[in-house]
Amino acid sequence: MHRITSTIQAPFRWLGHTAMSWSFNAGGLAILIFQVLRNLLPWRWQFDGPETWRNLYRVGVKSFPIVVVTAILVGAIMVIQSGLYIEQYGAYGLLGWGAGYSILREVGPILIGLMFSGRVGANNTAELGTMKVTDQVDALRALAIDPIAYLVMPRFIAMILMMFLLVVIGNFTALIGGAITSQVLLDVNMVLFFQSVITFVLLDDLLHGLIKAVAFGFAIAIISCHFGLSTSGGAVGVGRAVNASVVGSAIAIFVLDYAITFASL
Amino acid sequence: MSADPHTSPRQAGGEPSSFREFLAALGEPLLYLVRTFRELSEMFALTLYYMVRGRTRWRAIFEQLHEVGNRSVIFIAVTLGFLGMILIYQAGYQAEQITGDLQLLGGLFLQLLLREFAPTITAMMIATRVATGMAAQIGSMVVTEQVDALRMCAAPPVDYLVVPRFIATTIMMIVLTIFAVLVSYSAGALTALFSFGLNVRTFIDLSFIGWFDLILCLSKALAYGMAIPIIACHAGLNVSGGSEGVGRATTNAVVNASLAVVILDFILTSLGYVVLSLIP
Repeated sequence: MHRITSTIQAPFRWLGHTAMSWSFNAGGLAILIFQVLRNLLPWRWQFDGPETWRNLYRVGVKSFPIVVVTAILVGAIMVIQSGLYIEQYGAYGLLGWGAGYSILREVGPILIGLMFSGRVGANNTAELGTMKVTDQVDALRALAIDPIAYLVMPRFIAMILMMFLLVVIGNFTALIGGAITSQVLLDVNMVLFFQSVITFVLLDDLLHGLIKAVAFGFAIAIISCHFGLSTSGGAVGVGRAVNASVVGSAIAIFVLDYAITFASL
Repeated sequence: MSADPHTSPRQAGGEPSSFREFLAALGEPLLYLVRTFRELSEMFALTLYYMVRGRTRWRAIFEQLHEVGNRSVIFIAVTLGFLGMILIYQAGYQAEQITGDLQLLGGLFLQLLLREFAPTITAMMIATRVATGMAAQIGSMVVTEQVDALRMCAAPPVDYLVVPRFIATTIMMIVLTIFAVLVSYSAGALTALFSFGLNVRTFIDLSFIGWFDLILCLSKALAYGMAIPIIACHAGLNVSGGSEGVGRATTNAVVNASLAVVILDFILTSLGYVVLSLIP
């Protein structure tokens, strides 16, 4: 009898559990966004200089190599892919446009955002989660230090700023990687490639990608901090939090990307 | 003059050591890369060895198939669906402005999806969802000394932990890539219908794809599916230093797995290009 009851209950239990965790996360994210924006108000502004510098260094400089490697390879792949079409029609003058347009608008921000969420977001969640699990966040509260101002704000500022700068760097690195590939593999002159980039790729395309970069940086910062600060359950809990953080960041990146693309065209 | 045995080589050089430090800063990441690559290849070889020689644990494999496949389906559907919508939206807008001709949209989209986006973006998603999970799980087993306990029981961790994950991820990566193509293409078709009024029948156009595209798609999926579990399990098994170590390992796993996906993508895409230009 008991077994039958629990079998009937199981789907409802699962449903309720899922609904609770979704609403917990949705509410937590909303509250965190609210708190961060409130801390940005001029009369509540507490700027922790050294901590922000440390985070800027950790977020930006340490992610630099991986972003550069990704960007060079992405540029090369995009050139090879559009090269196949270009060769069919013999329109070598459009190679730079084809690669540059897709890199600047879509592929560059998405792939650099995914790398950023893997490198920086996961690291951030793991760090905050470990602090949470070892009660260091509660210790901060006991010392009357606001965890949002001390832990979240520097990371938030660093992530948005550095995501922007890394996408700028990544875009240009990707174009250089594409130019080298077009010279080496497709035998299309580098000068022709860059001429085509300069002629056909608009400032609009660059700005479109940069707006996306800022939005992705915002989303990754909020999501990784939320999942880090709501970690529970020891080392296993930290792993689960990191998993949830990267999954949430990836979904946020694609949804925001669609929203921005839809809104701007 | 003989070198004093008590001085370190750095001091023995005599010169200010900034040049040596520069060389060391260059060499250290390189050595790290070489070491990691060697460890990964060793683990890959060991996995293949145990796959052939060891006992097949169907139960563990089915558990991992469920963990890797079933639990990623919604995630893959959401992300790849949005990807299809974004790409069709961009491409359709451009095509409408430049030529006004949307006939080729569906066919070219399917070709690009098969060659590039479906396997690669699916693998990036699997790298975030599955690799972090594996690294965290195995990492906490290492930290709580369960892996040492396995070794004590004469169960090699690679045989017991890595092989089922390797088999499951390789199978599921191929299945999920096919699923991703279907989801992304349907999302694209719906976007084309609602945003540009393009008929779904016109959109579904198989004339551009050939065996080459299918083979490239599946071989990419196979390569990613073999690389991701090896990298994730390697990161998990090399955890040291308690719960902070587990956090570091998960980060390492997702970064290295995504990077491996991009590098393999580059290699396979260039190989495909070379093959395609040889065939004519």
